[in-house]
Amino acid sequence: MNRKRVLFVVVSLLLVLSMALAACGNNATPTAAPQQEEATQAPEASQAPEATEAATEAATEAPAEPVTIEVYYPVAVDAPIAKILQGYIDAFEAENPNIKVKPVFSGGYGDVKTTIQTTIEGGGKPPALAVMLAADLYDLINADYIIPMDDFINAMPDGDAYINDFFPAFMANSKYDGKIWSIPFQRSVVTLYYNADLFEQEGLQPPDSWESLAQAAEKLTIPGERWGIEWPSGWPYWLFQPLAIGNGQNIVKSPTEVVFDDPKVIEAVQFYIDLSHKYHAMPEGVQKNWGNAPADFAKGAAAMIVHSSGSLNGILKQADFKVGVMAVPGKEPGTYATVTGGGNFYIMKGVSPEEQAAAWKFIEFVTQPQYAADFSINTGYVATRKSAYDTDAMKKYIEEVPQAGQLRDMLQYAGMELSCMNLGKVRNIFHKYLQAAYNGEMTPEEAMKQAQKEADEALSIFK
Amino acid sequence: MSLASKSLTPASRKGPSWLPYLLISPTLVIVLVFTAWPTVQAIYTSFFRQYLNIAKFRTPTFVGLENYKTLLTSPDFHEVLRNTAIYVVGTVPTSIVLAFLFALLVNRTVKGIGLARLAFFYPTILPMVSAATIWMFFFTPDYGLFNTALRALGYHGPQNWLGNPHLALLAVMIVAVWKNAGYLMIFYLAGLQNLPTDVFEAASIDGASWWTQLWKIAFPLLRRTTLFVSTIAIIDAFQVVDHIFVLTQGGPSQSSSVLLYYLWQVRFEDQNVGLASALTVVLIVIMLSITVTNFVLSEREGA
Amino acid sequence: MTGSKLRKRLTDVFLNILTAVLALAWASLIIWAVVVSFRPESEPLGRGDVWFGHSVTFANYLKAWSLAPFGIYYRNTIIIVGMILIAQVITITLAGFAFAHYRFKGKKWLFFFILLQLMIPAAALLVPNFSTIRKLGLFDTTLAVALPYFGSAFGTFLMRQAFLEVPRDLVDAGVMDGCSWWQLLWHVYLPPAMPTLVAFALSSISWHWNEFLWPLVVTLTERSRPLTIGLVRFTQLGEIGARWPLLAAATITVIAPLFLLFLVFQKQFIRSFLHSGLK
Repeated sequence: MNRKRVLFVVVSLLLVLSMALAACGNNATPTAAPQQEEATQAPEASQAPEATEAATEAATEAPAEPVTIEVYYPVAVDAPIAKILQGYIDAFEAENPNIKVKPVFSGGYGDVKTTIQTTIEGGGKPPALAVMLAADLYDLINADYIIPMDDFINAMPDGDAYINDFFPAFMANSKYDGKIWSIPFQRSVVTLYYNADLFEQEGLQPPDSWESLAQAAEKLTIPGERWGIEWPSGWPYWLFQPLAIGNGQNIVKSPTEVVFDDPKVIEAVQFYIDLSHKYHAMPEGVQKNWGNAPADFAKGAAAMIVHSSGSLNGILKQADFKVGVMAVPGKEPGTYATVTGGGNFYIMKGVSPEEQAAAWKFIEFVTQPQYAADFSINTGYVATRKSAYDTDAMKKYIEEVPQAGQLRDMLQYAGMELSCMNLGKVRNIFHKYLQAAYNGEMTPEEAMKQAQKEADEALSIFK
Repeated sequence: MSLASKSLTPASRKGPSWLPYLLISPTLVIVLVFTAWPTVQAIYTSFFRQYLNIAKFRTPTFVGLENYKTLLTSPDFHEVLRNTAIYVVGTVPTSIVLAFLFALLVNRTVKGIGLARLAFFYPTILPMVSAATIWMFFFTPDYGLFNTALRALGYHGPQNWLGNPHLALLAVMIVAVWKNAGYLMIFYLAGLQNLPTDVFEAASIDGASWWTQLWKIAFPLLRRTTLFVSTIAIIDAFQVVDHIFVLTQGGPSQSSSVLLYYLWQVRFEDQNVGLASALTVVLIVIMLSITVTNFVLSEREGA
Repeated sequence: MTGSKLRKRLTDVFLNILTAVLALAWASLIIWAVVVSFRPESEPLGRGDVWFGHSVTFANYLKAWSLAPFGIYYRNTIIIVGMILIAQVITITLAGFAFAHYRFKGKKWLFFFILLQLMIPAAALLVPNFSTIRKLGLFDTTLAVALPYFGSAFGTFLMRQAFLEVPRDLVDAGVMDGCSWWQLLWHVYLPPAMPTLVAFALSSISWHWNEFLWPLVVTLTERSRPLTIGLVRFTQLGEIGARWPLLAAATITVIAPLFLLFLVFQKQFIRSFLHSGLK
């Protein structure tokens, strides 16, 4: 009976609490401001005191109306990226008092894309600017969400020089139909991490071909204790691509053409399988260890891993040995391959030209060499521009962390990330059959032939 | 006495004639808007082609039965149907047998039995996603606790639970059984406690072993409970896919995707509204046939 | 006689061991999670390392809370669960009362119509309900998560049953005293039906506290995401992948309140679940 009374108290407390919270939830909405409220409460949205001050200041300086733009941003790496970006925004607003930038941080790339999709579907107003996957280019064009940036670039005094300063590998997913649709921002590359101390102990050289890679992995394997190499394949296309490129045949050819059933691609699949079946140097089948692999590597449970360059900082923090980084060796001795990944800036359709112009201004600002360098140093992403590596800060950083410089050098071997029309579908098809091959359910040849057939079908409506 | 029964005329139970309608209207509106209307809507939109992520296919076009044809010929859909069948057939009886066993075990007066009951039941109140997050570690190759335990039991087969197409669905099923058995247990527990104790006493005097009591006496008496419990378990098996989001995302190679998860993928990843609506209709038909069957069966049992 | 006694003793021992083993196997998850959540992140987790001889730390909890706004997720979950609870308590009481007390035209059909909600579980209607929420302009609000549950066929059914068990004499006395309908409901019907209502409330809290798929679909930002979605987002944050102490801390954060509530009110909880299943 007594307990029952306590229970009543708890339940009613919960009720009261929830009402109180609901009440305050209405006016104190943190961080991500909603789309619908935006429309109705527009006058209140920019009521922060310093904003109005800045606006009046701006009014005396420039006749232009003050503009507020939103930036949708995926926080995908465990680094205080939100704070870093806010720092850039503050600096940008100080320099451009009539532009207000409001960042909206979502959990990941998928969230940003979904947010924009659902906003536009619902007839809402999208953000002016968003960071989304470079590989999503064609999907975004097909969905009619984004605008090309050529007008802005051409309006620059040195537009060509600006574009050419970006590493070509990073621009590979930006061009379509003779236009430029995105600007690289937070980019990474597939990286082979190796335990340099172990290599030295065993008298091994860093591998320079499939064969030497397999042999090193085999030699460094201690059954039950240490894998020669871990190569995650829970979401496999990205980490697989260096193998295909390293054999001279990337899996993507054009926005409507993928190459899955080429003998060279099939051979690459076979090599991955061989690492476990023939050399017994890698866990068998599909490896769902994207999260575990860096930790395994850092604690010595794997002598090599293939992973994102974005994991470098975390690995360096944990590892008590010399960490080597390099591109994935190709089939022939002396060849290497990697593939780029990560997110680009996109300017959205459906917002005013003023906002689009302001968005471009912000892109220009944060891609300046010193910011590109700073962003790379603080986040572990690869700096997107060549000139970023000429800044003093970057030079000093590379002295401390030479691996960061090696990541840049890998870019010369980089091929284009899988990106095509109907990407989600095509990628799912490829994943399905690649994993089927990894798991030995189909031979690599059967799997890739079937993948090609289904992918061609999925792409046929776009040809 | 006669006065009291006289006051029971219907008239005395009448307020204003609109009052009862007013009282049920909130519930009625919710059912109308979120159950009846969406059912009609799903059937209607399943006849249209609409991709939200492709500008030229964004406006719905009538395509008749095309979405259903696509489903019939899609190898993915076939695989998902097969997985769903395996999932239901695999988890439901296992959970029920375990639930019955648990109920029998904790329905004894032994010191500390309350702790055991707690251990079996607590998964019920955990969010499925939290449970799955913890299970993820248990399924990790090489150092997951689950594999360590299996090795101790002499199992030396493949350990890559979530990456192996033959094990991923099993892993997902294990989590579901772990989560559900304790919930279903309490229905048996209640059933057992409602059984006349003299049945057991008579049986023990006859020298019937515990096992005999169990299978020959208790289980048949709990037929109604079992019917009810299996309905809950089956419906649950169709509508709870939370752990798949955490553990496998339906992979590898679609091997652990079930109907509801696939429906989510088609609608919110592929943005294919028409196909998703057709899938919804399929799911509704399955659910309806299960619940209606249950109603009919329990009516017959009750009569 | 002695033989059968011995056999009974042996059976008992066997059953006790079986119970202990199974209970331990079932409990190992939560025990493991609690232990790991207090382990320093730097320490190895492989094999048996977890259990013995390490220091204890709260750092994982602090880190987890700094990486994701669990406070806001908490607020949202409480709002959602609270809204549903309030709405359900009102709607099922009123509807249950109407169906138990009154006779009116179409009663049977209306009751059957409401039961439709039991026959087509909400999960199946994810897609059309999502577009309804979009059309209502409620997308990404806590109300969107809660609204479809404001009426409950099951609760209505339960309350009707409970009200029907109220002795007729009591009701008639009330009617003769000239009670208005709400006085009748409040003073005559509701008190004896209270246990049913509380049982329903508890299972409703637990259900909606744990719900995942529907909020996943209709929420988008921190302003409406509940704890379950927050946790899954958290596990998918870039490098969280294998940081088990952190993951365990986040998981415990999410389950702690309900779990503690459960420990204290175990009996009521179990009874409520029992109730919630009985048809």
